[in-house]
Amino acid sequence: MIVTVAKVMWLAVWRDRGTLMLAFVLPPLMFLIFAEVFSGAGDSDLKMRVALLDSAQTPLTRQIVDALAELDGIEPVAQDLDSDRSGIAGLEALVRQGRADAAVWVRAEPDGNLDTEPAIVVIGDASRGLAAAIVTGRVQRLLQAGFPQLGIQRAAARIAELAGPYTEQQRKALDLALSELDSAGLQDRADSDIRHDGLVAQRLLGGGRQVDDGVSYYAGAVAILFLLFAAMQGAISLIDERNSGIVDRLVAGPGGYTVVVVGKGLFLTLQGLAQAGLIFAVAWWMYGIDWIGRFGSWLVTAFLAAAVSAWLGLLLASLCRTRQQAQTASAFVVLILSAIGGSMMPRFLMPGWLRELGWFTPNAWVIESWHGMFWRGDGPAELANGWGVLLATALVAMLISVWLAHRLAREK
Amino acid sequence: MDNESIEPILAIENLAFSYRDKPVLRDIKLVLHPGHILALLGPNGAGKSTLIRCICGRLQPDAGRLLVAGADPLKNREARAATGLVPQQIALYPHLTVGENLAAFARLAGVKRKAVGSAVAETIEFCDLAAVAGRPVGRLSGGWQRRVNIGCAMSHSPRLLILDEPTVGIDPPAREEIERLLQRLAAAGLAILMTGHDLAQIEILADSVALLSEGRVAATGAPAGLIREFFGESHECRLTLARPPEAGLVEKLGVLGLQADHDKPLHWSGMIDAHTARDLQSRLPDGAPITELRVRRPGLDTLWAHLYGSELEHAA
Repeated sequence: MIVTVAKVMWLAVWRDRGTLMLAFVLPPLMFLIFAEVFSGAGDSDLKMRVALLDSAQTPLTRQIVDALAELDGIEPVAQDLDSDRSGIAGLEALVRQGRADAAVWVRAEPDGNLDTEPAIVVIGDASRGLAAAIVTGRVQRLLQAGFPQLGIQRAAARIAELAGPYTEQQRKALDLALSELDSAGLQDRADSDIRHDGLVAQRLLGGGRQVDDGVSYYAGAVAILFLLFAAMQGAISLIDERNSGIVDRLVAGPGGYTVVVVGKGLFLTLQGLAQAGLIFAVAWWMYGIDWIGRFGSWLVTAFLAAAVSAWLGLLLASLCRTRQQAQTASAFVVLILSAIGGSMMPRFLMPGWLRELGWFTPNAWVIESWHGMFWRGDGPAELANGWGVLLATALVAMLISVWLAHRLAREK
Repeated sequence: MDNESIEPILAIENLAFSYRDKPVLRDIKLVLHPGHILALLGPNGAGKSTLIRCICGRLQPDAGRLLVAGADPLKNREARAATGLVPQQIALYPHLTVGENLAAFARLAGVKRKAVGSAVAETIEFCDLAAVAGRPVGRLSGGWQRRVNIGCAMSHSPRLLILDEPTVGIDPPAREEIERLLQRLAAAGLAILMTGHDLAQIEILADSVALLSEGRVAATGAPAGLIREFFGESHECRLTLARPPEAGLVEKLGVLGLQADHDKPLHWSGMIDAHTARDLQSRLPDGAPITELRVRRPGLDTLWAHLYGSELEHAA
């Protein structure tokens, strides 16, 4: 009897393509996405877009910058020569705008002087602190492997500081040893963990407000995730109404079915607006993001995010025949969109192809839009592109949904 | 005033409809006047649902003419506004109260915002829904839900009410309530087109019936008139035997016009004339092993069996 029950359950799963997909296709798909992001499995290692600036312009610093540009996992980002801001300001702008995950500024030639500021500064965005940390690690590894003399110079200086100055003889011996240093051999030695403390510094840029610290990113990421979930669930009532005969009743009347679909779209948009409002109200109250100060731009993004969610939900419900089918499809769609679009993890952690794929999800545009306005202080001009994409997506989904409703009402 | 001088609410002439080159409706002619109840009968696949979809303006006929309140429902909003559809399912919002459902469907059917309140009040009164007006529909009994289902199709004051099996799945007292409601609606001047498989109920309620067969109207008219047309003054006789009859009894039953049912050799039935019906008992041989003998005037079920060649339960 127990086997019979198990067999019945297996047949139910086997014959329901949606459940089958949810049970056996979605898990490995989600694993692949997470694996690509977190383990660098597959062909594409985690690539960081890094802007480089050599202010010292000495042979050694040029050598370091060239080595950085050719480093695996670093994708150099060129500074915009036409931009008003050049030098360090331009570098910071690239990071703030999200066009570079981090920047490396070689401000002086590294030497053994312990009293000077670190010669290399990794500039990151506080909302993407992890990216700066990864780049810092890679720079340190490069210095350790490619320029070991820098570390030893600093170690020697540290010893001199603690034990007193070197004698002339010791100084000569040290200089000779440094000039004959075999960097490859040093790299292979087990004890080659020479630290470059003091050579590389990390500086994180604050956004529009110092208190944000990435909250605006996660507020947007969570908001669009739940907007999509709620809209998909709400839109499933279309199927219930179709099955209960309500649609037949309405179609027979003068109003038709289109008005019902549009009415649902309006409600789900308003519901989404309220949901986003609640999340950002908490972010404003608890973490002090500048919600009130940027309310106008926030409202436009929130409206578009809610509209996109609502109409994608209604489109999906219009295409499904049963409630179960719609529930399965919506879980599948929301999870994939959210994973690729940056709702589950920051997109800068993703390999390049996945990061590019993310632009085909509403999540990426919504997150970027909110993050841009709260963190970088983007105004309507900078946000217009994202708003345009969201508006176009919502309109296309709405037109198809309405067309499907019209087709259902006047069948042939 | 006779029906001929009143403009019909529903007028169908030579209507034809095909689905993927397969004829579904052929040469349909029907007329329904205000205050009349027309029952559309036929086995599954006969074309009832397709015809209702045409009347509701969801399907475009290939040929013929279909007018609701004098206009084509496919093109004319007013014609659709004159129609109220009661689907077979409970087509209501279960979380909303009865009053809220009535108001919602009134608005969706085009009733002006200011007029919704009075439309709901009228429907509640007419359908006798006051006792449950404030209760969520999902918590009502099946009978009450059926009444609300009808009420929601009426809240915009249609002139033609289409009901698809309005009493399916409810107990006899609730069914009688619905029957009384439909009679009140017809008496108030509403034209009612209904489908159903409860032929006894339809015989009581309907002023006329149209029996569809393979997309055609096989017979139409008042139930009593149709029955008389098909069976004259004959009576339907049904007889059940305790054991298989002997040769003499078989011959006698044959002479009376009775035949063994196809798959039930102990069950005999047939149409007998009125004279035979009156003294049937005396014409049967003494000692015949009869356990049950029923003689009655033929009904719609008899007509159904005659037209569709099977019992109702098999056809439905």
